[in-house]
Amino acid sequence: MNKNLILYAAILIFGITAPFIFPAFKVQLSILCVLIVLALTWNIQGGEMGYNTFGNILFYGLGMYLCASVQVGMFFPLAEWTESGGEKTFVHTPAQFFQGMAVGLVVAAIIPTIVAGLIGYAILGLRGHYFAICTLGLGVAAGEISGGIEIIGAGQGFTTPPFPNVGGLEARGEFFYLLSFGALVLTFIAVRAIYSTRFKLILNAIRDNEDKAEAMGIQTMKYKIIGWMISAFFCGLAGGIMGGLVGYIDSTDVAFDGREMGVFMVLMAILGGKGTLWGPIIGATVFHIFKEGFWTFFLGWQYVALGVLIVVIVIYFPEGIMGWLREKYPERFGEVIDEADRKAQVELK
Amino acid sequence: MKINKIILSFISAVAILLSTSVVSFAKVVGDKIVLGAAISLTGKYSSNGVHTQNGYNMAVDRINSMGGVKVGGKTYKFEIIYYDDESNPKRAAQLAERLISQDKVEFMLGPYSSGLTKAIAPVTEKYGVPMVEANGASRSLFTKGYKYLFAVLAPANLYLDVAIRTAVELNGGKGVRIAQAFEQDAFSQDVRLGILDAAKETGSEIIIDDKLPKELNDMAATLVKVKQMKPDVLVVSGHTKGALTAIRQIAEMKVDVPMLAMTHCDAAKLSKQHGKNSQYALCASQWHKTLTYKDNFFKDGMTYAADFQKEFGYDPPYQSAESSAALLVFKDAFERANSFDQKKVRDALAATNMQTFYGNIKFAPGGQNVDKPMVLFQVMCDGAGKCENKVVAPLKWASAKLIHPIPKWSDR
Repeated sequence: MNKNLILYAAILIFGITAPFIFPAFKVQLSILCVLIVLALTWNIQGGEMGYNTFGNILFYGLGMYLCASVQVGMFFPLAEWTESGGEKTFVHTPAQFFQGMAVGLVVAAIIPTIVAGLIGYAILGLRGHYFAICTLGLGVAAGEISGGIEIIGAGQGFTTPPFPNVGGLEARGEFFYLLSFGALVLTFIAVRAIYSTRFKLILNAIRDNEDKAEAMGIQTMKYKIIGWMISAFFCGLAGGIMGGLVGYIDSTDVAFDGREMGVFMVLMAILGGKGTLWGPIIGATVFHIFKEGFWTFFLGWQYVALGVLIVVIVIYFPEGIMGWLREKYPERFGEVIDEADRKAQVELK
Repeated sequence: MKINKIILSFISAVAILLSTSVVSFAKVVGDKIVLGAAISLTGKYSSNGVHTQNGYNMAVDRINSMGGVKVGGKTYKFEIIYYDDESNPKRAAQLAERLISQDKVEFMLGPYSSGLTKAIAPVTEKYGVPMVEANGASRSLFTKGYKYLFAVLAPANLYLDVAIRTAVELNGGKGVRIAQAFEQDAFSQDVRLGILDAAKETGSEIIIDDKLPKELNDMAATLVKVKQMKPDVLVVSGHTKGALTAIRQIAEMKVDVPMLAMTHCDAAKLSKQHGKNSQYALCASQWHKTLTYKDNFFKDGMTYAADFQKEFGYDPPYQSAESSAALLVFKDAFERANSFDQKKVRDALAATNMQTFYGNIKFAPGGQNVDKPMVLFQVMCDGAGKCENKVVAPLKWASAKLIHPIPKWSDR
């Protein structure tokens, strides 16, 4: 337990001081935090529950639009804001900006949670590929629909309120970093807490054999929906932060970006090792570093390099980095291997 | 709990990686002025991104080989750091941050498309980095009071304004019936707003108002409606893919419409790719090689086109021309500011008043170029099937007479 505390303290200190030690990387680090949140929450479905969803991008995009809309709508007429593309006539005072952001983030977390409950009720009866395809459609549909709603800018896009003039040049980056790091810590604590309860075991039971789980008297539908709502809560939060960070929301390229973010969150969780607590975190970090590296050193070829990375993951690390480590050093994961017993079993066969 | 060790060592590895990878360029290294640009080398804007990049490179080479930029009695050469924004606004904003805070770039060139410029402008504005952009025409860029954004092109709502007015004029001053289809992106939607304004003023009626998806490769639904409702004008805008799709399907479906007005015909190399099928299409353009503007570097449009053709193997679309012009503007501003101070350069940019081969450049307080009208050309083919873009409006530069109405497919 003590060692655990040291580990968490070290991570926390590193996380809080990182933007001040590496000021040039603030934006990348903020995005990394958001990526980790997405991977962690995807893992609840894809890893623990065995439901491969491509629909979490829906909550992320929803959160993004909601947060920005609330932040603007609390103080100014939203339609005029989007139509003028955020003219300077509407300037948030610092107090308005932060209040709007705070309320916006709460809304950005809660509404997607409710939406997840409703949609989950409708579609979580689907299993396997059918569920995956259905959720894929959700993200695409959301992008197209939001691209037609005038009040949030439709195809023109939505410019989020500019950061107020407080605390110098670096303030914006530091604010959004701390916000996204905060969201990450919150998500981690929540996910870790969940994974230590019976709830996780139920999710695992659903993954391993849903019919048997049902036969044992578990109301699988209820748990599937709750699981999805938990994911939606944090995805929405991450989306809201990301919207403010990017500063410009486009329906299909930034918000409901299923082609990039929607796929990346799956990829990161698988790369790190799905069905583990630390897997998505390590996966997202490695993925982000690789991606940034490819963009710098393989300009024009970055997607080819990314494709090779995916192929390598699938062939050599089908269980992800954590899975690979676990296989290689099982004792480090607290698994005791009784050599005599193992031999006896092998010989029995 | 040995797993903790693994995670701890992993985190320290990340920390070490971060601390060693801070590579910093200064804005002026030795005798170089380093400009930063995020360009769409992949993704849906990749062809126009390349046109933009070619335009930048062409101007950099030309200015450098003709003596470079003289500031404070010393000669400097231009150099550009490029990143690929993948046609994605999120990526573009991130790259702008990266260019400014990691690569320490102090002057920026614009990306391709209005959406990406919208994403980058707040970043450059925040850091006070002057950006001359050549490919973000959306009107809303110029209404935000950005002080460090300068666009060498005319705003998007003016693109097809002329086409509607011409159609009304040919209709004896009476309003026309307009069918329109626009891609769901910042630029095309702005062109749409321009059409709405023009329609209101001329008493024209909009009978079809469709939206096209971003990954645009089919607009048959709109064309079926056009066939049935028989509008006087069909307006299509959706970057390069929009132009290509429209021409392909109009020819396939044999849609007859008296006037077809589009954007991005030259970037799509319509006359080359679709030959006679693209005949009679009217296209809004920021620039055409036959215009008679002049400067010392590229001489005039015809010479620019010939040089560009020699270097890159195709006729320059206006996207390349305006991108080249952006460098000329920067050079001029640096020399007038006689300094690399960002504020001074910004003020010099604001005071720009010059002629380039691409057109006159003078910035309004919002940053848009107010001294350069749009031109309209029509794709015209000779008997042998060789097609060319000829300017038909405004009359001052017209090298051919507008063919109106477009002959029916059955008579072609």
